[in-house]
Parts: sequence; C-alpha cells; structure tokens
Amino acid sequence: MGLPLVMAIILALIPRENRSIFRYGTLAATFGSLLIAIYVFAQFENRLDEAKDEITFIEAAPLATQYGYIFTQRSDWIESLGISYHVGVDGIGVVMVLMAALVAFAAACCAREIQTRQKEFYILLLLMSGGILGAFMSLDLFLMYFLHELALVPTFIMIGVWGRGQNKEFAAYKITLYLSIGALLTLAGLILLYLHYKTFSLVEVLHAADIGNALTNDSQSLVFALLMFGLGILVSLWPFHTWAPIGYAAAPTATAMMHAGVIKKFGLFMLIKVALPVLPAGAQVWLPVLALLCLGNILYCGLVAMRQKDLNLLIGNSSVAHMGFVFLGIASATLIGLTGAVMVMVAHGLLAGLAFGLSGYLHQQTRTLDMEKIQGLLASMPFWGTLMIMALMAGCGLPGFANFAGELTVFFGAWETYPVITGIAMWSALVIGAVYMLRAIRKLLHGKKGETAPEVEDITSWQRLPYAILLTVLLLFGFYPRLITEKINQSEPTFRQATAVQPEETE
Amino acid sequence: MSKEQVIQYLPLVILLAPLLSAILILLFTSKFKRLSAGISVGAVALGLGASIFLFVAESNIVGGSTPVYTWFSIGNAGQNALLPNGPGVNPLVFDISLQNDSLSRLMLLVVTLVGTLVHVFSLAYMRQDQGYSRYFGALSFFMFSMLGIVLSANLVMMFIFWELVGVSSYLLISHWFEKPAAADAGKKAFITNRIGDVGFLLGILLVWQQAGSLAFDSLGPATTLAGLLIFCGAVGKSAQFPLHIWLPDAMEGPTPVSALIHAATMVAAGVYMICRVFVLFTPEALEVIAWTGAVTALLAALIAVQQNDIKRILAYSTLSQLGYMVMAVGCGGPAASMFHLTTHAAFKALLFLGAGAVIYACHHEQNIWKLGNLKNKMEWTSRTFVIGALALSGFPLLSGFFSKDAILMQAYEHQMPLFIIGVFVAFLTAFYMTRCVIVTFFGEARSDHAKEAEEVPGEMVAPLVILALLSIGLGWGFIGLSGFTEGFSKWKDLAAHSDAAHNAAMIGGTIAVTIGLTAGWKIYHGSETDPLPEKLKDVAQWMSDKFYLDELYGFLNRWTQEKLSFAADWFDRWIIAGLGVKGTSGAVDITGCLLRLFQTGNVQTYALLTVIGLLFILALILF
Repeated sequence: MGLPLVMAIILALIPRENRSIFRYGTLAATFGSLLIAIYVFAQFENRLDEAKDEITFIEAAPLATQYGYIFTQRSDWIESLGISYHVGVDGIGVVMVLMAALVAFAAACCAREIQTRQKEFYILLLLMSGGILGAFMSLDLFLMYFLHELALVPTFIMIGVWGRGQNKEFAAYKITLYLSIGALLTLAGLILLYLHYKTFSLVEVLHAADIGNALTNDSQSLVFALLMFGLGILVSLWPFHTWAPIGYAAAPTATAMMHAGVIKKFGLFMLIKVALPVLPAGAQVWLPVLALLCLGNILYCGLVAMRQKDLNLLIGNSSVAHMGFVFLGIASATLIGLTGAVMVMVAHGLLAGLAFGLSGYLHQQTRTLDMEKIQGLLASMPFWGTLMIMALMAGCGLPGFANFAGELTVFFGAWETYPVITGIAMWSALVIGAVYMLRAIRKLLHGKKGETAPEVEDITSWQRLPYAILLTVLLLFGFYPRLITEKINQSEPTFRQATAVQPEETE
Repeated sequence: MSKEQVIQYLPLVILLAPLLSAILILLFTSKFKRLSAGISVGAVALGLGASIFLFVAESNIVGGSTPVYTWFSIGNAGQNALLPNGPGVNPLVFDISLQNDSLSRLMLLVVTLVGTLVHVFSLAYMRQDQGYSRYFGALSFFMFSMLGIVLSANLVMMFIFWELVGVSSYLLISHWFEKPAAADAGKKAFITNRIGDVGFLLGILLVWQQAGSLAFDSLGPATTLAGLLIFCGAVGKSAQFPLHIWLPDAMEGPTPVSALIHAATMVAAGVYMICRVFVLFTPEALEVIAWTGAVTALLAALIAVQQNDIKRILAYSTLSQLGYMVMAVGCGGPAASMFHLTTHAAFKALLFLGAGAVIYACHHEQNIWKLGNLKNKMEWTSRTFVIGALALSGFPLLSGFFSKDAILMQAYEHQMPLFIIGVFVAFLTAFYMTRCVIVTFFGEARSDHAKEAEEVPGEMVAPLVILALLSIGLGWGFIGLSGFTEGFSKWKDLAAHSDAAHNAAMIGGTIAVTIGLTAGWKIYHGSETDPLPEKLKDVAQWMSDKFYLDELYGFLNRWTQEKLSFAADWFDRWIIAGLGVKGTSGAVDITGCLLRLFQTGNVQTYALLTVIGLLFILALILF
C-alpha cells in the first residue's frame, strides 16, 4: 500500500535528466496501488466473513478485528507515546481508498501539462497519493494525522511553483495559512484526546469510549469543537471556505484533482471515524451548529458559484457547496445520513477529479478558463464537450451518477432532524445547482464559436483513459450504489457509536 | 417460456431496448448516420410491438410489479440486525421494479406508438442535419427515460426517471445548440422543471415519513401538504400555471421533438403521475389541483388566440389541454383524464407533425401570416391537419369530442364554475384552431416560401395518416368513457354517470364548438391581417404578450435569486476573503507577515514553514 511512497523515494534518487522515467514511474506506482485497492475492495466481504468467524471462535481476537477492520498490519513506531504503525480498512475506509486510488491514477495521467521540474512534481504527487491513501487506512490517530500532513504539504508547494495565473503566490499563501491553522486545531484536539486516553490507537480509543470511559461533557464539547472547526477548515466549512476556489483556480490540474477530490475528504473522514463515535456528548452540542453552518456551504456558496466567470472558480465553489451535503449528513448523525455522507464523499471525489481534469485539459488548450472568452466548444471538441456536460450534470445531481444517490440518501437521513435545512438544501441542489451548471454549459459549450476563439483540439486516444475511468466508476456507483452502501454499512461499530448521538431538534 | 413469464418480463425488454440503442449510438455508431437512425427506430418499434402484445394480452397479473434489482438499501433489518436507525426512522430500501397494470400498459402503448411515428417522421425531417446521430441517440435516451416513468413501481424510481426525462428534454430542445434561443430555451425548461421537482422530492420525503413505504401498490391517503408537494412535480413537468412558461419556449427544438415530448408524452407524464398516486390526495388537495388545471386551461387558451407562430399556437393549446386533464383529476376523474391524455396524444402529435411538415416545406417559416393557401399544394398535410384540428376542437364524433365530454361531465358533477370554465375553454379552442387552420391553409399565399411549398416525402406523410385515423377512431374504439373505464376497476365508481351531467356536457360542448368554429370562420376567412387587435385593443395585447408572466418571473428572479447571488459573491470577495483574512483574523496575517520577514517571500518559503512546523511537533514528541 505504500507503493507510491516507495516509488517517490526511488524517483528522488534518479537524476532529473531522465524525464520520461518520472512520468512512467508515477503512472506505474499509482496504477499498482489502484490494482491493490480494487483487489481489497473485491475481497472485502470474504475477508470480513473470515474475520467474523475469527471473532466467534477465538476469544482474544484483536481489537481491530472486533471493530470491523481487516487487512491489518501493525508494528510499533514510537513506543513511549503509544504511537504505532497500524493500518487496516473497514467498510468506510475501503471505499475511500478505492476512490483515492482511482483519482490518484487519473491525476498522474493528467499531469502531462507539467513541463518544468518534472522530477520534483512527480515526487510530490507520489507523496500526496501515498500519504492520503495511508491516512485513510491508519488505525493510529497520530499516524493518520501525520500521513495527511504528508499529503497536504505538497499542495502548497505545487501551487506555488507550478500554479497558474496572477494570483498563484497569493493563493498558495492563503491556502497554506488556512490549512495550517485547521491542521493545528485538529492536532490540539487529538492531543487532548491523547491526554485522556493515553493512547493514539483508534480502536483502543473507540473501545474505551464504548465501555464508558468517556471524557466529561465539558471537555468533550471542547475537543469536539476543536476537531469540528479544525477539520472543518480543512474541508472548507463556511465561513472558512474562501481558500478553496482561489486555491483550485491557481493549482495545477493534478493538484486540484487530488486535493479537491481526495485530500479534502480527510477532514470529513476523521469527523465520522473519530469525532462522532468518541465524543457523543460534544457532538450533541455542536451538531446543530454544524447543520446551520453547512447551510452556508450549500446555499451561500451555490449562490456565489452562480456569479463566477472562471470555470475553475465555478467548479471550486460548487465543490465547496457539495461539501455542505456531507456536513448535513454528518450533522444528522443517523445511519442513513452518515451513509449518504460517505456516498457523497466518494462520488464527489470522483466528480471533482473528473471536473478539474477536464478543465485542466481545456486550460492546456486555451490558456484561459474565462467563460466570457470561450464558447461553442461542443462543436469543436465533441468528446471533451460530452464529458464536460456529463460532469456538470452529475454536479447538479442527475440520477445515474453516484452523486444523486448520495445526496438523496443525505436528504432522507437529515429530513427528520432538520426538515427546514433539508428543504433549503434541496432547493440549492436541484435549482441553484442547475442554474450555475447550465450557465456553464450555455457559455462554454453552446452558442457559436467566436471569431477570436483560440484553436482547440479534442482529447484523443490514450489521453481519454483517465476521464473515461472516472466517469465509468461514477456511473457504476450511480446505477448500482449497493456496491458501496453494502460496504459502508459494514462499519457497524463506528456507526453504532456515531448514531448514539441525538442532536436536538433545531426547528 | 409460459405466457405469464413473457408478460412479466416484456416491460423490461421495452425499457432496455432504447437504452441499449442510446449507448450504442453514443459509443459506436455516431459516425454512421443511417445505422444510428436504424438502431433507434428498431428499438422503439420493438417497444411498440411488445406494448401492443401486452395491451391486447389477457393476463392474470393485474396491478403487479416485477422487481428487477435493489438499487440500494440502508438499515434493512434482514441485512444488518444490529444497526439502529435512530428513533422512528424507517429503513431505506430503494427498489427498481416494473409496474405492470392496466394504467401503465395504456401509457406504454401511447408512448411507444407516438414514439415510433415520430422516429419515422424524423428520418426525413432531420435528414439534412449535422447532428443526425446525436439526435437519434438523444431520442432513444428520451424513450428510455419516459418508459422508465411509465413503468416505475415506486416514487423514488419515478423521480429518477423524472429527472432523466428532464435532461433528455433539455438535450433535445437545445439540439441546435449553436442557436442562442434554442440553448436558452433548453436551460429555461430544465430549471423551471427543477423548481417543481423540489416540491416533488419534499413530497416524497413526507410520504416516506408518514407511510414508511414508497411503492405505489402500498400507498394510502397522505396529508394535504404531502399531496400538494407531490403535485408540484406535475406542475413543473406538465407545465401548469405558474410554471408553464418553459413549454412555449421549448418550441425552439426540432418539431418532431415538440410533437413527441412537448405534446404527447413527457408533458403528459405529470398527469400520469397524479393519476398513479391518486389515492394520496385529500379532498382539499384535489380542490387545489382542479383549480390549478382550470386556470391553466383558461389562461393558455386566451394566450393561444393571439399567437402568430404556428408552433406556439399549438404549444399554448397543449398547455390548455393539459390544464383540462389536471382539472379532470382534481374533479375526481382520473379515468376521464387518462382518456383525454390518450386521444390528445394522437391528435396533438398529428398537429405538431403537420406543423413540422409545413415548416419543412416552407423553409422554416413559422409565422402563420406569412403562409396561406397550402391546401392546394400540400393536400395530405392539410387534410390530416384539419382532422387533427377538428378532433382537438371536440367536433362531434371525433375522438376529442368523447374525451372532452368525459371531462366536462366530471366537472359538472363536481362544481359548476369549473364546468363553465371548461365549456368556455372548449369554445376558445375551437376558435383559435379555426384561426390557425384558415390562415395557414386557406386564402392567398403571403410569402415566397409559401408559394413554392411542395408536399413532403412519404416517411412524413405516413405517420400523419396513421395519426389522423387514430384521431378519428380512438373515441369509437373505447366506445366513449364507459368502455374505457372498464380497465381501471379501482376508479370505476368515481366516474361521473348521472344523466344530467351527460346531457349538460354533450349540449355545452357541442354549442361551444359550433360557436367557436363559426366565429373563427367569420372573422378570419379571407382576411390578410388579424382583425382582433383592432377590436379588443389592450386585451389582445395582453394575450399576445402572455399576460407578461415571463417578464414578471424575470423581474422576480433578477431581484431575488440574482441579487442574493450578487450579494453573496460580493460578501465573499470583500468581507470574508478581504476583511476576514486581513481584519478579524489579523493575527494570522501578522504571523504570515512576520514569517515573511524571516524569509525571502517566495513560495518555497511557505512549504519550508510547514516542514519546520512538522519538525517542531516531532521534536516535541521525541524529546
């Protein structure tokens, strides 16, 4: 599973003259981890059944297995602090890992546009992919945090060095500040947890919380707030979201795909996996607040997206808006809502990868993403145009794509607790989403090609591969969401603890 | 395979054939025009054959649904007994199953029949088009989505196909995407539909919360609110007031598309849906539905009187007839509504295809005042068009007469004002259709295009003739309402049957049609321009400007959603991003500035900063 990381180290040792080696090495590494991720995904149920038998017949099954984690590996790292290298996946982890591996491979394919300092770029990309894959598999809170940082830091460098546009320095500066503060708050929360439980092991903490060793209500509330806002900043929770659109507009294609698609999901992942089950009392206080703030994402950022003239700013803002649906699912703290939240995370990861990949291709062709300057692309780039229409349609929740299944589930889950907020979220998902997505289609793809429009070429042959993969999986999970819901629902213990929270009704 | 099994699985074949066709065209045959068209026509013809078989076959499976697969389920007890759903929350199970009862079989027949004829008509109509394959691909995709709505066995599945129909309609309206008006019209249609869908989805959630199930077979009465929210979906899709504004604009699409989607099938989906969930509605909800339908019927008929574009006249007429159907449901007569839906599909598709033939022959001239005297040049087209117009007007013994009669009877038994509106609309219908026919086909040719017109090719004439025969015979085929309601046993008692209603509807309808036809003939025979604006002045102006509803909505949207969007964007740029970073969280900024002093200020610095931070943390932990 550490394949990308190993490859990063190998590539670091190769001199920079051999340009193609970096590209093909990266492709091979990400493709390798994709294959392994698919294998784990396919084998998940079998292995889980074996693990269940083990629990039944062996008294002292490892704690991790009892909590639904399989494919586990463990070795001690820093014993004095109870930090260990401990990885494994459960139902939520396995779908996130698959999504991350898919997007990482696609991002590696789309990194062709990088012409300078390729060695460094590909190494950073591998660090990113390896780091975030590892973070989704960690069973140790410190390891989880550390690997996420490992994936996050390259983002800043990539935007700064290989970014585009006038604002890249400012964007890199802003994104670094915001995300560092978010990470810092999260770390503070984790350290407080550590001080209470004296261990960083996720399953031990879960177990301790399960058998009644909980923090006092006040400190739960404090830690939950730290985690919620810290992780919230990482996920662009309103009103800490402004780094996201600007950052993505300035980022190189592969970086935007990886960050918006995968790395950003980490905050949500940790909220579901750690904050909710361990801190039920804290959640009770803060979830209604989260529900209100997520309206900021859903409604406000949707409205902002309506005004954007730059394609990447539009996708960026809509991506922030989509995070609101995940927050809403989390805030509901019901089984249905949380499952929906994970479904949206997976779907949005694939979609963000696809949308930023496509817009990156366009930028390569035209050197601009200003929708006022480009139009009528459907006639000159039919393949790109068709895919873009599909991506935008998926973004406004068209059935058939996985996003619809996820959003629908979130609505069903959140409906009982927050009827008014759910209603507004639906308005935003169905109407506002349609308004800005269709505006983009109307401006970019429809209409006559302008006289001054730059010459463009359609995507050809092998370059179509990454887009085709992402779209196919998006459709697969849309037509047959059971593939992921059945796995997600195997995370029984996490859900059992997480849904013990009962947020007070706000309306 | 036994006959029962065939009947059970035929719907699946009908549903999947067009999907397969759309996928094949998208992936493989987009470069081969004829092959694409052939696949598409083949798929829909197969569907027609299967639908006829289903419709005719006597079957033991009545009102059943066939499960296909579970889309997904959460918290299903069988799957995971350990999991609690939270208090009072039902497990969520989404099934894809196909409904196979008399209602869905009738609708299948309507959709595939009109679909096949429109496909054939398009073969010739679209021949010169660049996007021939794309057109047939989208048409197949539409057939798939529409058949999906018809075959849905639960509300969520219906919502899924509901949305798919919306998007395929969007693709087809903006088929000529290089034309700004077409691209805008597609957008408007999609968004207006979406507004209705918000209500639909909310309604689905309410029903689920109250009943715990979404399958049609297990629906029971719900609250008025839930019923009305579900009805919102129909208001959007069937273009009822106040969401009717998208339908006339949708006429920017190719004319066969208007015939199929915006006359016979998709817009009728709303009516089909409220018939399907009829048990949900409380009397209060039905009252609202009836009046929404009546207002739409009246408003649209008034507007139609003063339109000059042949397709727009037909579009407003469609609105008005849909209003009729909705009103019939509101008056407690889903059977009458479905009856009118069936006959309307035949004669309105006929009229649109006839208009398409006229437009094809006259080089895309759509203004009726620039046409004229086509009856001598396009004999088949004009004959069939006149039959369609008479059927629509409710001329005695044609199909429209019987179905309109059924609706008027229903209204008479329900409420007098609705009956009066119905009769008045019948008069207006006869009037504006007479105007349309006389100005287009009689008198002098008023432009060069009209003078040079020739009869259209056989692929286009054949569908016209078949539809004309149906427009005449459908009423007889069902022998009026009584024969028709046999199939819908559960609605049988609801149908109006008193003698008083029967006589009133018959007499009222006939008088209205007679007056309408005579008045239309008197006013428009031999006239070169429209005399009505002279006589009615402002009223005519209001009618031709559609009562300024488009302007009103534009104004509302500009001053609410767009302003909000502007404000949000401004706030985002200047307050949160600007002051937020530089003001309230000034500490952050200052830290940044301080650190900038340390370093050169270039970007690698920031990366370095983070690395230092990490090292710092590591150091803390290790020592």
